Amino acid sequence: MTNKPGMIALAAVSALAVSSAWADEIKVGVIAPFSGPFAQYGVQYQQAIETYQAQHGTAAGDHEITFIYKDVGGVNPDQSRALAQELLIRERVDYLAGFTFTPNALAVGPVITQSETPTVIFNAATSAINAESPFFLRTSYTLPQVSAPAAEWAYDQGIRSVVTTVSDYGPGIDAEVSFKAAFEAKGGTVTDSVRMPLSTTDFTPILQRVKDQAPDAVFAFLPGGPPTFSFTKTYNENGLRDDGITFLGTAETEESNLQALGDLAVGLHTAYHYSAAHDSDENRAFLDALAELHPDGIVNWASVGAYDGVHLIYEMVAAAGTDGPAAVEAALGLAWESPRGPIEMDPETRTVIQNVYIREVARNPETGLLENVETGIIATVGDLGWNQ
Amino acid sequence: MTGRLLSIFLILAAGAAAYLLFPYNLAFLTRILIMIVLVLSLDLILGLAGIATLGQAAMYGAGAYAAGLFAIHVWADPVAGLLAGAVAGALLAAVSGAVLMRTQGLTLIMLTIAVAQICAEIANRARGVTGGADGLRGIRPGKVLGLWEFDFIGITGYWYAFAVMLLVFLALAIIARSPFGLSLRGIHESPERMVAIGVSVYRRRLAAYTMGGAIAGIAGALSAQITQLVSLESFSFTLSAEALIMLILGGTGRLYGAILGTVIFMAVHHVAAANDPFNWLFVIGALVLVVVFFLPRGLVALPVSLKRLAKGGRHAGT
Amino acid sequence: MTLLLNIAVDGVAYGMILFMIAVGLSVTMGLMRVVNLAHGGFALIGGTLAHWLGTEVGLPFALVLLGAVAGTIVIAMPLERLVYRRIYGFGELQQVLATIGLTFLMIASVNLWQGSSLLSITLPEGLNRSVDLGFRQLTAHRALVIGVGALVILGLWLLLDRTRFGIRLRAAVDNRDTASALGIDTGRIYMLTFALGAGLAALGGILGAELLPIDAYYPLRYMVLFLIVVAIGGLGSILGSFVAALAIGMIETASRYLVPDMATITFFAIVILFLALRPRGLMGRVGA
Repeated sequence: MTNKPGMIALAAVSALAVSSAWADEIKVGVIAPFSGPFAQYGVQYQQAIETYQAQHGTAAGDHEITFIYKDVGGVNPDQSRALAQELLIRERVDYLAGFTFTPNALAVGPVITQSETPTVIFNAATSAINAESPFFLRTSYTLPQVSAPAAEWAYDQGIRSVVTTVSDYGPGIDAEVSFKAAFEAKGGTVTDSVRMPLSTTDFTPILQRVKDQAPDAVFAFLPGGPPTFSFTKTYNENGLRDDGITFLGTAETEESNLQALGDLAVGLHTAYHYSAAHDSDENRAFLDALAELHPDGIVNWASVGAYDGVHLIYEMVAAAGTDGPAAVEAALGLAWESPRGPIEMDPETRTVIQNVYIREVARNPETGLLENVETGIIATVGDLGWNQ
Repeated sequence: MTGRLLSIFLILAAGAAAYLLFPYNLAFLTRILIMIVLVLSLDLILGLAGIATLGQAAMYGAGAYAAGLFAIHVWADPVAGLLAGAVAGALLAAVSGAVLMRTQGLTLIMLTIAVAQICAEIANRARGVTGGADGLRGIRPGKVLGLWEFDFIGITGYWYAFAVMLLVFLALAIIARSPFGLSLRGIHESPERMVAIGVSVYRRRLAAYTMGGAIAGIAGALSAQITQLVSLESFSFTLSAEALIMLILGGTGRLYGAILGTVIFMAVHHVAAANDPFNWLFVIGALVLVVVFFLPRGLVALPVSLKRLAKGGRHAGT
Repeated sequence: MTLLLNIAVDGVAYGMILFMIAVGLSVTMGLMRVVNLAHGGFALIGGTLAHWLGTEVGLPFALVLLGAVAGTIVIAMPLERLVYRRIYGFGELQQVLATIGLTFLMIASVNLWQGSSLLSITLPEGLNRSVDLGFRQLTAHRALVIGVGALVILGLWLLLDRTRFGIRLRAAVDNRDTASALGIDTGRIYMLTFALGAGLAALGGILGAELLPIDAYYPLRYMVLFLIVVAIGGLGSILGSFVAALAIGMIETASRYLVPDMATITFFAIVILFLALRPRGLMGRVGA
């Protein structure tokens, strides 16, 4: 197997090693879904990246930064790993970024460890990913990070009994477990925990069951898109709101589907790390710059995850160029003002420490559009799921 | 016999050419090879035996999880892992096939889908064993035959998958010409006649389904070893459907069709998705329709159709 | 007792939606012998048109419903003439491939036109209101779904049993060649039936959007569900589809009330058991 192409390929790898000395252009490979039902994620990432480059230029330190986008379709670890290899070997990227789904991120773990490539996760929210490689950095959030504060806030509001309803898969169960632990630690009771199959289309049976138990609140976690839409509709239609059962969620009212939910969404409570309605100069600047490039663009947590991810990459490039381990070293402990508020890269978990806000959906009197109005900061936390 | 030698030579030449032409895309080429193995298994079941299925992913997923768990808990040897995958695929096919092979048509298709969905749900719920939706991680396959380590660029992975694909292809070529293979063709064309000459249609179909299951299991095992991760998507309906599209695209019942269809579909997907991911479905949809309307026997019939066209034939492909 | 009533009400509403979408599929598969995987695409087209007419054009709901169903039929008729007519003669596998290709094109078109996010259909104020049933509340919208579903089955029964068109259609389903030999214009019947099926799919897609929300990938997401209704009901049987859709609605709903954790496995296990015992479905007119 030591024939000619083998030599070419080996040359490519040694070139990879040589290029870590100095280079004018640094490439970042972005692996995300740009096709299929989850194409919205890829669009959000790309718009945020372009916005950051429009605001801050394309140079970091002495380096010119370019992005290469690769479409992974959906949950497809085979494709994710193959694309990572192609980006590293053929395109000779020095950084990887993107990753919407946990399996896709986990699949590149062994690859980036071997090539020592800093990899910034824009979304995938399972705590365990970062343990898979020391080169993973995460600018999104983890589920325990937002679920546990939601539980504590609920208790402080006088809510004593909660029924949890989560989609029956990894992220849902993570959310359920950390919510329950935090809520019971405070002294509240979780009277029932329902795990709903991912294929559920009609949520009436489940919400009817919640209603019959008459808890103070119902905590929900569902994957974005159609399930969230049906769930929140059903919550209202079956009179849970009228019975005074508070809705507690996390990403359910995210901006890309919020307008589709309509007036029924008004008053829903969620605990989350970013709202496009966050009141700060950084956020307004981000929104304005993005609107200038993409007038129809929608900003949500995926956008801000990518935006901060790009910032992190710029900082790493400025500090360490193409030296992977040094770049990660430079990133740890880095703090900056993000559109979501102040954040800091936790040196231990490599996930950002950030504020978690409690929000309530309301109509903006000026634009007439629905938005997540932040009513307070309920915690400033890192990845609470790291040691579990 | 010379025909078979020629076909081996052609496939070897194509494999070497791909390796020389695309040294930086070995990971993608390896994915094509694994998919070819899966589509070949479908060609045995559907092309040869005429068993319509949209649930081949069930056996692929079973093989992937079996090989993954085997590597983590028992032995990291890749070839042993392939065997574990084959056994798992064959077992699942035999057990489910015992019921499924009594039905046909739409009912059969729906049953195969249902089996794959149940497998996915079981894997999702057995989180402690399979990792659930996060995927089964920690698979670190050892050296192939104790000699070649899986390398960063994917040279070992490519030739390993290529060798497996070639062996599967040869095995199927032999099966297709064996008395068993001929009786499967007979069942496909006229089950009544086969019953009349005393052949147990049910048993032959079950045997074919089990063999196909074993090969699909091997494909799954390959993917588990190459990616070092298994996700619930290995049981997905999309995978079954795409494998079916690739097979029909290439042409059923001739093994070459499986290879050709897979290569064309995945290459078109790769190029279209790289250029305009948002609209690549237009390209693939159009490709599928063009093939089905102008080459109803699949892409393998292209040379014949062209020849006929050159001779001034009125209707290409029919 | 309340539990049983709950299951019945929710199951019937869900089943009615499945019925409206799947009945056209059952008839086309029974009559034209086409494995039409693109059928869900007509529900998608209906839903997308309804989204566009409602949110962007701003028509009232009744006109939205009418316009979207009519629009879907207008798209479906030439499609039948130009494309499906050729597909009828294909083998089963080619039909699968051709209709999947069509599905891809439909998805890609909606994706290009409206993007890949959720397409909401605005309901009038009145339909969002809840009706008190005594033991629980039910939205006016669900009540409407049940009502329309009942009207559809009644209308189809009248159409098939009491009109010349129905007699010809049944004759064509039972034996296409004989019907054709007797001078029945099967081509016309095919087109009208196809249009009817597509229109009903659009109606079901729009009314069912609260349960099965519309987005570009709708046809692929729910393809299996619709096919299961047809397989259980039996090809070509309207009554079969009706009973199957209601039964599936009930079973899914019941398993979500009683064993939400195991609902998916329970559902598919029941499907397997049923189809293994009755491969032709409840009342299949033609061999599956």
